[in-house]
Order: sequence, then structure tokens, then C-alpha cells
Amino acid sequence: MSTDTTERHLADEAARRTGAYTRSLIEASLDPLITIAPDGKITDVNNATEKVTGLSRQQLIGTDFLDYFTDPGKARAGYEQVFREGLVQDYELEIRHRDGHVTPVLYNAAVYRDEAGDVIGVSAAARDISERKRAEEVIRKLNEELAQRARRHAAELEATNKELEAFTYSVSHDLRGPLRHIDGFSKLLLEEYSADLPEDARRYLSRIRDGTRRMGMMVDDLLNLTRVGRKELSMQLTGLSSLLEEAIRDLQPEMATREIEWRIGKLPFVECDPALVKQVFANLLSNALKFTRTRERAVIEVGETTQDGRAVIFVRDNGVGFSMKYVDKLFGVFQRLHRPEDFEGTGIGLATVQRIVHKHGGRVWAEGELNKGATFYLTLEAVESRPGESNSLPRGAA
Amino acid sequence: MIRQDVEILLVEDNLDDVELTLHALRQERLANHIDVARDGEEALDFLFCRGPYAHRSFEQAPRVVLLDLKLSKVDGMDVLREIKKDPRTRAIPVVILTASREESDVANGYHLGANGYVQKPVDFDSFRNLVKQLGLYWLVVNEPPPPAAFQVK
Repeated sequence: MSTDTTERHLADEAARRTGAYTRSLIEASLDPLITIAPDGKITDVNNATEKVTGLSRQQLIGTDFLDYFTDPGKARAGYEQVFREGLVQDYELEIRHRDGHVTPVLYNAAVYRDEAGDVIGVSAAARDISERKRAEEVIRKLNEELAQRARRHAAELEATNKELEAFTYSVSHDLRGPLRHIDGFSKLLLEEYSADLPEDARRYLSRIRDGTRRMGMMVDDLLNLTRVGRKELSMQLTGLSSLLEEAIRDLQPEMATREIEWRIGKLPFVECDPALVKQVFANLLSNALKFTRTRERAVIEVGETTQDGRAVIFVRDNGVGFSMKYVDKLFGVFQRLHRPEDFEGTGIGLATVQRIVHKHGGRVWAEGELNKGATFYLTLEAVESRPGESNSLPRGAA
Repeated sequence: MIRQDVEILLVEDNLDDVELTLHALRQERLANHIDVARDGEEALDFLFCRGPYAHRSFEQAPRVVLLDLKLSKVDGMDVLREIKKDPRTRAIPVVILTASREESDVANGYHLGANGYVQKPVDFDSFRNLVKQLGLYWLVVNEPPPPAAFQVK
């Protein structure tokens, strides 16, 4: 044997060994592997590919690779992407078995080239993701169930609330009639038979009328509270300064003969229901006026401040204030922190304020100190205040 | 001009409300002749001159109808609808006088052609004042529809 022949023989033997070694690795892979020629014909497969398709390599090689996917169009797009970009990663496809069952897979594929650098095909490896898909499906179903249950609960809650509101409404509504009659006839009695009535009887009658008047106010406030609850918000970009001005104007009768110092700061433009937010100001200002009545000079401050990086509107007064011990009761229906003979009221005003603010997705809270004053804070969250617009819009136009 | 013998038709099913309203009107000496219909059916019979009111004629229409909404038999809104649907009664001014301040009631009332909508306040002084103003406006200030307004064209 010449040296040449021997060397060639040794080189062939080495190549044969490398080939066998590579082949054994390919066949051992759990992932289906294939190579595809530029014309889309399968040139090579491994064991795992035979298993996932249910076809032998003789049956597979030479056929169009697209035939084995549930979505040939998507398979072709992936193939084209490999040629365009050199590779694809985690490309999702489904391989169809001869018996019809489908295996979801993720493909990684890359082009391979000859010595001259020309592309001679694509090699692709698939990873069976059936388990992951099953787990995802279970999670999706659970989420769907949860969401459904949450929707059902929300609907039930809303129905119950609506029922409650309707009940409150009809009760308050129906109470007004008899109240008007009690008030009317006691008034007529007082007017037409006053001369025949002893002093005490007249006093009792006027107590009856005070009672009906108070109950009338409570019923009206309750009706208003339920009306707020049932009303759909009609949102529009609103200058809070002009709402505040209107609310103050409406309170003029309560302000006559009083010395009041108003300190009105700059307020933003917000997306809100103007009628309702005006009512918030009206109630808060009316409270501020009421609880500063004992002050020689009332100071009422309204403005915008920042708390924890958030824009907050506040209404502050130097009135009789309240003890923080009772701050939890402040916004409850019929909750009052003062004696009725000191400060009149139905205990519904702040509940209404809270209802309106909550409807806007905001928050309202209060700070107070007995005999020093009270501050009410509120945000109208849903409705991010827009400082940019408050600057760009002329204030006078509000 | 035809003398309108009935100046106000009060449509009200609650006797207490009837008495308080009549008292307020009489006290102000605003109306000489007030008729009361106790339910919707009676109100329609009266205005359409039928049944127990067959002897009446359309020319004797009241100057104003004060209409409660919560009525037995025929509902107040239906009474209003009937009045405003018919050319023989359409010109009669109808003012809704009710306890309700429901936005839907107010809207419906106007939609059907009501000439006014007034909520009864709880406080009697306010109620009396309001009835007085209503009477003053519809019987003294307002020019009533002439007979031609009731003729079917």
C-alpha cells in the first residue's frame, strides 16, 4: 500500500467515524430534527421525527415539509424567515401525526451552507410543548372561571345595591306625603284655632312642626343621596374654580351678616360630572360656614396641594372642628358629631360627598382638631387632574 | 266669551292633599270653582265629557288642570297622554303637581306635553305659597286658550 492510499484510507475512516458519531447523537435526540432543501423537500429526519409524524424516514424524505403541519401557511412563513434572517427561534407550530393527533412544538431553525458559503438547506429542531400547553390551558380555564365568578358576584352586588337604592328611594318618597299632611294640618290648627289653644298646646304643636320639618329635610337629603347613587356620571372636562364660584354664589343667603374671609387657591381642570362635583363643594362649604358660625371671623380656605405626589383638593375652616377620635363616623349616614341644638343638620351631607367622590373613583378624608377647625381632602382619581390644561386654558373662560 | 264654570280641575287621589290644596286656594280667594277628580278615570271622564260628566261640553274646559302622577285606575302620565293626544283637549294647560322629583318623571311629563311640573314640598308654608303662585299665574296672569284653540281642524 502506498502512503497516499493509506492516508486516504485513514481519512475516510475518520470521516466515517465522525459521521457515525454525529448520526448517533442526532438519533438519540428527543426533539424531532429535520433538514430541508431550499425547495422545501425534506432531506433528512431523525427517530423523534418518525415518532411524532408516525411515518418512516423513507416515507418522509423527499416530501414537502409543509404537509406535516396543521398550519402550512405559518410553517412556510417560518421557513421563509429562516432564509431571510438566517434563523428563527421559538417559532410555534403544530405537527400532525398520521393518526390525526397533533403535537404543539416550538421550532428553532437555521440555514446551513456549503464550503463556498451558499445556503444548501435548513436544519430545524422541534421541542414538544404539549405539557406546557396543557398547563397553560388549565390556568386559562381557572382564570376564566375566576373571572366569571367575580363577574357574577359583581352583578349580584350591583343588583342588591340597586334594590336597596330603589327601596330607600320609594320609602323616602312615600314618607313625604304623610309628612306634608302632618305639617299642613298642624299649621292650620295653629293658625285657625290659636286663640282657643292654651300656651302649652301651641308649644307642643310647634314642636310637632319642628319634627316634621326636620324629618322632611332628612327625607329630602336621603332622596338626594340615593339619586346620586343611581345617577350615571356624565363626565366632562371641568374647571373646578368655576364650580367652586357657583357653589359659593348659591350659599350667599347663608353668608349674609357674617364676616367671612375666603382664601381661594388655584384649582385644576378635571374630567368629572360637574353637577355632582359642584354638590361636593356645596356640601363641604355649607359645613364650613355652619361650623364657623361661632367665630367672629370665619376663615375658609380652598385649594390644591400635593400629598404623596398626588394632587389633592382641600377645604379648610377655622370652625369648631372635631376630635380625631370620631373621624371614622364623619362620613356615615345619619352620623353627627354635634348636638342638634348647637348645629342643625341631617347627617347625610358628608355621606353624599363620599358617595360622589367614590363614584368618581376618588378618595375623601378629613383632619380636625376640636375648637381649631377642620380640613377635608379629596381626590378625583379616575380622572387624573391635568395641570397642563389648567395652564393652557384661560381662567376667565371657566 | 263663554264663562268657564270650572277654573281648576284638581286630579288628586289623596284626601289629605285635596283638603290642604283646596284650603290654600280658598284662603287666597283665587278660585271660585274647583272640581276634584279622585282618580285618572274620573279626570278623563270629566275632560272628555263622558260617563257621569256627559252633560258637560268641551267648551267648558278648566283654565288649568293640576295633575298628580300617582293615581289609581289610570296613571297620571296616561291621563296627560290622553289630554295632549286629542285636539279637543290639547289646549288645556296641565301642570303636574306631584311628590316625585324623579328626573324620568319630569322628562316624561314634558315629553308628553305638560305645561308645567311642580314638586309638592313637605313644608306646608312652602306648599301653600306654591299653590297660591300657581293659582295666581294660571287664573290671573295667563291668557287662557280661546274657543278656537279647542276646535278640531
